[in-house]
Amino acid sequence: MKELFPKEHVLGFVGSLLLTLAALTVIMFKGMSNGLAMTILLITAAAQALVQLILFMHIGETDDKKSLYVTIIYAVVVGLITVFGTLLAMVWGY
Amino acid sequence: MSKENTSAPLEYRTHENEMKIFGFWVFLGAEIVLFATLFSVYFALADRTGTGPTGKEIFEMPPVLIETFVLLTSSFLIGLGVHAMRIGRKKAMMVFYIITLLLGLVFLGVEINEFLTYIHDGATITTSAFMSALMTLLGTHGAHVTFGFLWGSAILIQIKRHGLNAKTANKAFIFSLYWHFLDVVWIFIFSFVYLKGVL
Repeated sequence: MKELFPKEHVLGFVGSLLLTLAALTVIMFKGMSNGLAMTILLITAAAQALVQLILFMHIGETDDKKSLYVTIIYAVVVGLITVFGTLLAMVWGY
Repeated sequence: MSKENTSAPLEYRTHENEMKIFGFWVFLGAEIVLFATLFSVYFALADRTGTGPTGKEIFEMPPVLIETFVLLTSSFLIGLGVHAMRIGRKKAMMVFYIITLLLGLVFLGVEINEFLTYIHDGATITTSAFMSALMTLLGTHGAHVTFGFLWGSAILIQIKRHGLNAKTANKAFIFSLYWHFLDVVWIFIFSFVYLKGVL
């Protein structure tokens, strides 16, 4: 039975639960500044994504890992430019 | 990895299999950008509620928390499924995959109920720009989960029929990447739609 529950997966799961609880603090403590709340959410969400990518999806396990990193990082950069470009132009009013 | 690398996990053992896994990562890159555009639209329109409700008025945290913990658990279980597959435990692998898919159904049930509640409260996809953007984003994710349920079920049937071989193991592994990815997208929806919405 024990061999079915490898350590890194169990730790990853515990980590993702803890990160979810950490994200929930932004609505549990009233009067937290918006900036602090968004910072906490950005950090916990990014950490959750890394837990999935590294511990569960094993992105670094093969010899073509460099190509995988480039592919995913490129997609994330394009995504971030899209999201923050939209925020700059249409929400924050620059 | 070479063509006949028997030390590699089953799903990587042929060159074609390696290429399929690599190709799926490229697809996930495109999916990241797809969801980035939908998040952009949502952020741009989140305050354009017109005469309709705001996010703060309609978001209910208990069902959202259920959805979050259900998806996190299913993502953990499919990871265990892949691990079981790699140590040759076909039966355990299938059990993990079946529970994963059942949790996917629970997630969909809660989400459909959430949509019905919105519609019942008079907030439909045509009510406001906010509702359109919200339902497009949630709906696209939900459609991915629905497709994943059907895809995963088909793979389970194949494994039941043909056993674990390089082909079926490859399909099951690629499906696990897809499922983990949907969990990542959900984490961002949970953080930047719901939690941000009720701040």
